[in-house]
Amino acid sequence: MSEMTYRRVHQAPPELLFDCMTQPEHLTRFWGPTGTSAPLDGITVDLRPGGAFETVMVSDADGSRYTMRAVYVEVRRPSRLVWTEPDKTTGMTTTITFNDLGDGRTEVVTHQTDMPAAYLSPQAQAGFATSLDRFTSYIASLSGDHPPA
Amino acid sequence: MTVVEEDLSRTFAALADPTRRAIVARLAAGEATAGQLAEPFALTQQAVSKHLKVLEQAGLITRSQVAQRRPCRLRPDHLDAAAAWIERHRQEWAERYDRLDEHLAALREEARK
Repeated sequence: MSEMTYRRVHQAPPELLFDCMTQPEHLTRFWGPTGTSAPLDGITVDLRPGGAFETVMVSDADGSRYTMRAVYVEVRRPSRLVWTEPDKTTGMTTTITFNDLGDGRTEVVTHQTDMPAAYLSPQAQAGFATSLDRFTSYIASLSGDHPPA
Repeated sequence: MTVVEEDLSRTFAALADPTRRAIVARLAAGEATAGQLAEPFALTQQAVSKHLKVLEQAGLITRSQVAQRRPCRLRPDHLDAAAAWIERHRQEWAERYDRLDEHLAALREEARK
């Protein structure tokens, strides 16, 4: 099991950010990844638990295509969005939480795990979410010359 | 799963436990015996030995086979692999959210017109 947490504050209300992550017209503008594009006609969003979330990513360099096939697990506008990629042998699950900061800004927390969420107890998930950032900064301290605190 | 991914899974599973992370942090400062590791955690040496076994199987530490006191040493290469996995995914999302910010700025610009 591998895990990743990424936090970011955006200058927008949670409703708009949720819509950006779930509406093809928005997704096509930024989904990427870098060096690829996600054409509008290759994006499928069936926004309900069990519904499909698919994007075709086309390489800028050679036009090669990669299709991400995911299924929504949880859809709660504007606070939470969960999808899983069942094609992958390890079953990558992505959870995006939108926290309204109340001043027009929203903290977006992206959490990815390569094991289906169902295999993890709620306690284990909560523990991981809080401990992983500490772990990551700890690893960063290891790779530097200075000893960890 | 590839061999690398399997290794990585074992690494992350081993590091899921806060005591084991603390042991790894302690070993980052230098080698230590099971007895020395047990002290700050108020754990029995037996409990520490169990944690050390998990860390050893995950390839995160090595234990000397020669010395009687069998000091434990960190193997940073496996930690590096775990860090690289996190970094790769972080980077992908960082770039995606950079583009999202540009998109949001464009939306604000359009609304002003």
